[in-house]
Amino acid sequence: MSDAPNILTRRGFVAMTTAAASVAAADRLFGDARSSSTKPDPALERLGAVALAEARKQGATYADLRICRYRNQSSGFRLSPQRGSNITDEVPFVFDDQSFGFGVRVIANGQWGFAASPNVTPEEIVRMTREAVGVAKANSAAQSEALELAPTKAYVDRWTSDFEKDPFTVSIDEKLDLIHGAALSIKKDPKVFSASGSLRFHSEDKYFASSEGSSIQQLIVQSYPGLRATAVDMKNGLSRSRSYKIEPQSAGWESIPKANLGENAPRIRAEVLEALAAPPVTPGKKDLVLVPSHLWLTIHESIGHSTELDRALGYEANYAGTSFLTTDKLGKLSFGSELINVFGDRTNAGGLATVKYDDDGVLTTKFPIIEKGIFKHYQTIRDQAHLIGEKESRGCCYGDSWSSVPFQRMPNVWLQPGPEGVNLNDLISGVEDGILIEGDGSFSIDQQRYNFQFGGDAFWEIKNGKKGGMLSRVAYQSKTTDFWHSCDGIAGPGYWQQFGAPNDGKGEPAQINAVSHGCCPARFRQVNVLLTD
Amino acid sequence: MFSQQDAKNIIGKVISYSKLPDCLVSVDWTEDVFIRFAVNGITTSGYTITQNVSISSSTDDKRTGNAQVTEVSDDALRRGVEQAEQMAKITPPNPENMPALPPQEYPMLANFDTYTAAARGDLLIPHVKAVIEQARSKDLVAAGFIERTANAAAVGNKKGLFGYHTYTDAEMSHTVRNRAGSSSGWAAQSSVTLKDLDGGAAARISTEKCVRGVNRKKLDAGKYTVILEPAAVGDLAGLLGFSFGARGAEQGQSWLSKKGGGTYVGEKMFPEFITLRSDPFHPKLSSTPWGASLLPNRKMSWIENGVIKNLYYDRFWASKAGKEPTSFPTELVLDGQGSSLEDLIKSTDRALLVTRLWYIRMLQPKTSQFTGLTRDGVFLVENGKVTDPVTNFRWNESPVEVLQRTTKLGTPIRVTGGETGTQIVPPLVTTEFNMASVSDAV
Repeated sequence: MSDAPNILTRRGFVAMTTAAASVAAADRLFGDARSSSTKPDPALERLGAVALAEARKQGATYADLRICRYRNQSSGFRLSPQRGSNITDEVPFVFDDQSFGFGVRVIANGQWGFAASPNVTPEEIVRMTREAVGVAKANSAAQSEALELAPTKAYVDRWTSDFEKDPFTVSIDEKLDLIHGAALSIKKDPKVFSASGSLRFHSEDKYFASSEGSSIQQLIVQSYPGLRATAVDMKNGLSRSRSYKIEPQSAGWESIPKANLGENAPRIRAEVLEALAAPPVTPGKKDLVLVPSHLWLTIHESIGHSTELDRALGYEANYAGTSFLTTDKLGKLSFGSELINVFGDRTNAGGLATVKYDDDGVLTTKFPIIEKGIFKHYQTIRDQAHLIGEKESRGCCYGDSWSSVPFQRMPNVWLQPGPEGVNLNDLISGVEDGILIEGDGSFSIDQQRYNFQFGGDAFWEIKNGKKGGMLSRVAYQSKTTDFWHSCDGIAGPGYWQQFGAPNDGKGEPAQINAVSHGCCPARFRQVNVLLTD
Repeated sequence: MFSQQDAKNIIGKVISYSKLPDCLVSVDWTEDVFIRFAVNGITTSGYTITQNVSISSSTDDKRTGNAQVTEVSDDALRRGVEQAEQMAKITPPNPENMPALPPQEYPMLANFDTYTAAARGDLLIPHVKAVIEQARSKDLVAAGFIERTANAAAVGNKKGLFGYHTYTDAEMSHTVRNRAGSSSGWAAQSSVTLKDLDGGAAARISTEKCVRGVNRKKLDAGKYTVILEPAAVGDLAGLLGFSFGARGAEQGQSWLSKKGGGTYVGEKMFPEFITLRSDPFHPKLSSTPWGASLLPNRKMSWIENGVIKNLYYDRFWASKAGKEPTSFPTELVLDGQGSSLEDLIKSTDRALLVTRLWYIRMLQPKTSQFTGLTRDGVFLVENGKVTDPVTNFRWNESPVEVLQRTTKLGTPIRVTGGETGTQIVPPLVTTEFNMASVSDAV
């Protein structure tokens, strides 16, 4: 590689990465992302068998092994002024991180044990399986109840998430060119202080083998584009930012051109300058029209987290918290207005939590969480379903790394669209005094998911049914069930978008989870609006 | 344990594979033993080893590529170097890229404890049992987490820079709730050694808070004098530390920016008794001998006797400003005044005693305004005594203003906050704390 030209051609770069990739153990094991095989790689299955045999030998009554390889590539630009001048520095960045290892999980003496290592060899798998059994047996000294796993079928399968073009095969210079052009467009007006943009791509190669006969290989590819502008008014001591919030998706490079970065950059430029001069909101009760780039986060915090069974049962009490939705409310509580129908779903196209099998080896599904405003179902995994009398898991198990213990994580939680024909203007025209909010900003909710306060990325006044100019310093505060009962309008299916995030935190040691929340614009009546600073 | 020789081998190999003028390598290795418990029993636990090799390669004309791998085979390391170098070659020059550092004299830190590094589940379980037994004795329900880590960190580059350091850390936190779900108490301990943890002592605090917390009084939202326990102060101090960046301050984006230009460095903005500093040598902190810039870590005052003393200058910004680079504001210590928490309570006529804070998010960086909630124990203090339990609140506040309105400080201890990591901070009394709305959550 030493004689490579200073600026590689795109073809040259792809060829190099493919050649280099052929030498690492992870690549040998996981093979070609485009494999048409319906069965896991035999080398992975051989390693799985090593763990399962050793676990059995050590007295485990259940065992599973996950071998995982993750890749995160991010590239982009920051355009910002030099110190003490208006001259712009263009600062590029590019990172390509990989992580590879295995984790083995066992049940012995009726208790979970787990061990993990980055050295994926048969010898290390044997050693760590013994460690995991040792951990389980030691812990049985402080056990409350014996574990019970909801039954699941055994699957032998290989699955790949939907993507047309592998984003890791697109050259770095093409990615940097795209972001550079969009950032330059934002920074075109010298009144814009700084502009930045990034393209991040994530892949997860996962192999799962269980003592119940499952052997599953899966590949997930996700894309996260973003643009941001900041404006500063030194004289008046003000600073405001505006982002182009783009749907992050379980998708490949094909999702990037659809984001139309070039067309949206000038809009962000104009809006950050308008936001800098925007008048502060007058606080009080107002109607809100929330569009999907904002509403996804309100769904996530108030519905997604409150309907997690592990929280309701107290398993997260020390960190993420519990839930106001205690099990006596299941099937009874009126969560919101009759318009509110919400699903948990790990099968929907493009969702960041979409996968065919969860990390318990359970075939994933779509299930109702709220039906016509009534709370119907929790998110569950195998070792907790029986605690509320359910016969099977709803497939919500996930560990964010080979070194992380899988536990209950959120599926895609999405809000069903309103009737066909209802459009955004219909929602706005029904508002006398309100605010339209786009994009996510500051967000905070209590440890039982009840009292929340959300900001946003951009705010427009609505007066007498018309969208007006931008406002600043807006946040709204409500209680979960009050808020969802105040919903009196949801736009039709043509407006449905699914925004989300890669980094939802939960658990100890802390783990992250990628999740999407599809929705349409919706209207909420008489919500308490605050002036924030 | 990942030894100094292991580190030298990996760094040496990476550098030998590198063809570009600059190659910076950092290696992080962690062995983690942890136990999670809930509903008065152990739930999940594990023994894990993780490692990362980060490679940053640069050309003479400041093009930089960065790669990270976890495999340490020759093939995998070679691949990581090739990836970093190929990316560097096709990336435009980075005007903020700084020249590679020559060898540095890193300080010696004494924060590795062999007892902690060797500890397995059998030494952690007694703490868990102590918590669960105390909770059960009061018919309460405990959930929590205990963890110890043994860590090695190493850095090296083509100019001959090399550093290696090992450190340990241990922490335990837990929450105790009553079966009706109407009260919650919390306690936590953390140190560089497991020997400093005492599950039984911590459980006495959490169970007392939980037992006292039943039948909470509902007070109106509004501005209150509050006594913040150290865990709450730690989060606010950590958030304040993050805001000391010179770039943001000089370019009008921070509370340290003056209207019209300039910063508040050198100006007295806080009471005389407020001193906030970084102390990587503090024996209770799991520091490394170098910071993010790889310069030797050193003590640094950010606020001294109420005066803004320094800002955080990374190497690039320092070179433009004609200043010495400073370490990032971590390993924070907020100096105290020697009083105990009990002394602060005794000397207060009326206040809210706050155990800890939760879900803190920034509202406006320019004014350092945040929102968050209280959690796991708010109590009314009247005439020097803790009286009634009180409901939780959502608050909208600025850590800057909280310190400006502080009237008394207690004795600093190490805390690990929910949002910002580890600090050494005291409890404090501050006035006019803005409780924006009542939170019914328990």
